[in-house]
Amino acid sequence: MFDEKDLLIEARHVTRRFPTNDGRLLTACNDVNLKFYKGKTLGIVGESGCGKSTFMRFMVWLDTPTEGEIFFHGKDITKMKGAELHENRQHIQMVFQDPSTSFNPKMKIKEIVCEPLLNFNRISSSEVDAKARELLELVELPGDFADRYPHNMSGGQRQRVAIARAIALEPEFIVMDEATSALDVSVQKTVIELITRLQREKNIAIGFIAHDLGLIESFAHQVAVMYLGNIVEVMPGEGLSDICCHPYSRALLNSVFDLKMDFSQKIKAIEGEPPSPLDLPQGCPFSNRCPDCVDDCHHTKPTLTEVAPGHLVACHCCAR
Amino acid sequence: MSLLEIKDVDISYGKNLTVKKVSMSLEKGEICSIVGESGSGKTTVIRAAMGLLPGGGRVSAGSITYDGMDLLGLTHEQWRELRGHDISMIFQDSGAMMNQTRLIGDSYVEYIRTHEDISKEDAWAKGIEMIERMRLPDGDRIMRSYPFQLSGGQRQRVGIAMGMTYQPKLLLADEPTSALDVTTQAQIVRQFMELRDEYGTSIIIVTHNLGVAAYMGDKIVVMKHGEVVDRGEREYILHESTNPYTKLLLDAVPTLGGKRYV
Ligand SMILES: Nc1ncnc2c1ncn2[C@@H]1O[C@H](COP(=O)(O)OP(=O)(O)O)[C@@H](O)[C@H]1O
Ligand SMILES: Nc1ncnc2c1ncn2[C@@H]1O[C@H](COP(=O)(O)OP(=O)(O)O)[C@@H](O)[C@H]1O
Ligand code: SF4
Ligand SMILES: [Mg+2]
Ligand SMILES: [Mg+2]
Repeated sequence: MFDEKDLLIEARHVTRRFPTNDGRLLTACNDVNLKFYKGKTLGIVGESGCGKSTFMRFMVWLDTPTEGEIFFHGKDITKMKGAELHENRQHIQMVFQDPSTSFNPKMKIKEIVCEPLLNFNRISSSEVDAKARELLELVELPGDFADRYPHNMSGGQRQRVAIARAIALEPEFIVMDEATSALDVSVQKTVIELITRLQREKNIAIGFIAHDLGLIESFAHQVAVMYLGNIVEVMPGEGLSDICCHPYSRALLNSVFDLKMDFSQKIKAIEGEPPSPLDLPQGCPFSNRCPDCVDDCHHTKPTLTEVAPGHLVACHCCAR
Repeated sequence: MSLLEIKDVDISYGKNLTVKKVSMSLEKGEICSIVGESGSGKTTVIRAAMGLLPGGGRVSAGSITYDGMDLLGLTHEQWRELRGHDISMIFQDSGAMMNQTRLIGDSYVEYIRTHEDISKEDAWAKGIEMIERMRLPDGDRIMRSYPFQLSGGQRQRVGIAMGMTYQPKLLLADEPTSALDVTTQAQIVRQFMELRDEYGTSIIIVTHNLGVAAYMGDKIVVMKHGEVVDRGEREYILHESTNPYTKLLLDAVPTLGGKRYV
């Protein structure tokens, strides 16, 4: 379903354990294997605390896995140092949920947007004004926003500035961590339209963390569902609601309040919350909440198995 | 007579007229959803109905009545009587409203004892009973926890438990599920629906999730720039309204199996 020659980043057996104060180990990511392709979006969904951010932070060198490798153009980014690291940083950028906290309030928008370019000596300070206008226009903001300060802008406008800054270096890969969660729906829509347009024009690979399956389905090419640090299902984004079959993915889907749903039906919410990652159930991580759980689930952990091209599921009951 | 009647209300913060000529009414057992982009005045309206406008905010025109009683003329003492017993409010993060350095149970007991004259032991037992009714198992453990030791969903359930202690006739909920996971959101929404079905509680829910608004609301009010721009029964708002702003909002909501951008 994806052309392997477009493979850009491949995470292999990535695991992250955090030591706790009382000397135990918290497994935030457990043997994660995922591939990102040029010009395509991989969406990651799952309840908070399931390890989405922990995983994506490796991509931008904010953290290092305890085990595993992440290949970018065939090189393991987790081992990069010095000049090689500096060189590669330009190609991968990140956009966070609340850009206002990552902006220096004393910097003008043009300085914020052009800072990465100046850091990598791509432009000189005399070129900042022109470049800033060009970038702002790319994200559909008026050029004269360049001389404003971030606090004089709405949330949606600040998120556009963050995107302008992220694409300034023409990166090959952009990580977006809940980048539209704080925005109004109408603004969210325009931001999604913007990033999908930029992706088409510049062939950017995107890793998008979200908790709204309806949103993810509307623009992701590939979707990974995560539970307690484990990837439990990977599938194509298109038609996701029809093809997803892991009981946890179905539970997430059933929790969505969709405008087209039957409002007379009771919502089918799964009970409870995920157990602590310090106290993992035996066997399948979802076993203590799963409506389809059978005896075997308590003993043997299911592995990701291909059920259709590009569709992997880790469940004893739905591997056909 | 409606349970709650908000009529031609203007609300100002200092010199700024923020909410203009807003009207809405709610019958017994009815649920009304208020939607609209951030800053449109949703919180301001329901805080006014609860007599809880922040400093500088005041209702400068119009009337708000509850069960025929003029809420705008109430004394401090009368508000104390009404709040909790007749009208309760639930916030986006109930945990943030609690004292972080005190056990949940101590805050809960204090809340109960400002509303009725009972012993600490009885108040504690009442707290546990309410918490467990909100489907939080092991109420005693919850009562012996600090707010930070609970998840956002658990804290929100405690907030709802507190708000429901005296089975108020009217519940005002301001983005009660916005900080929660979709799974917890679904559980909390189900809880609200059960409150209405079992106790006939009337609910106003403010939310920016149009799916939640549509699922819960018998009727929906759409706000923009401090004004009500559209209103009606759910079916009307979703399928019949020709209001351009309502249509823009609905069109922006991603639906399962709906439009794709790629
Ligand atoms: N620096 C850290 N130290 C200890 N535990 C952490 C750290 N970062 C994350 N965790 C834990 O790892 C798990 C996954 O967290 P995170 O990746 O932030 O989840 P998500 O982004 O899916 O909400 C959580 O249980 C979280 O508490
Ligand atoms: N305490 C306050 N003082 C002054 N202005 C306020 C205050 N609270 C809200 N506002 C203003 O009132 C308007 C409506 O805010 P709010 O009712 O919070 O909207 P919403 O809940 O729809 O996001 C906004 O422009 C906001 O800036
Ligand atoms: S393996 Fe068993 S417990 Fe796990 S998701 Fe499948 S059916 Fe449920
Ligand atoms: Mg996260
Ligand atoms: Mg509000």
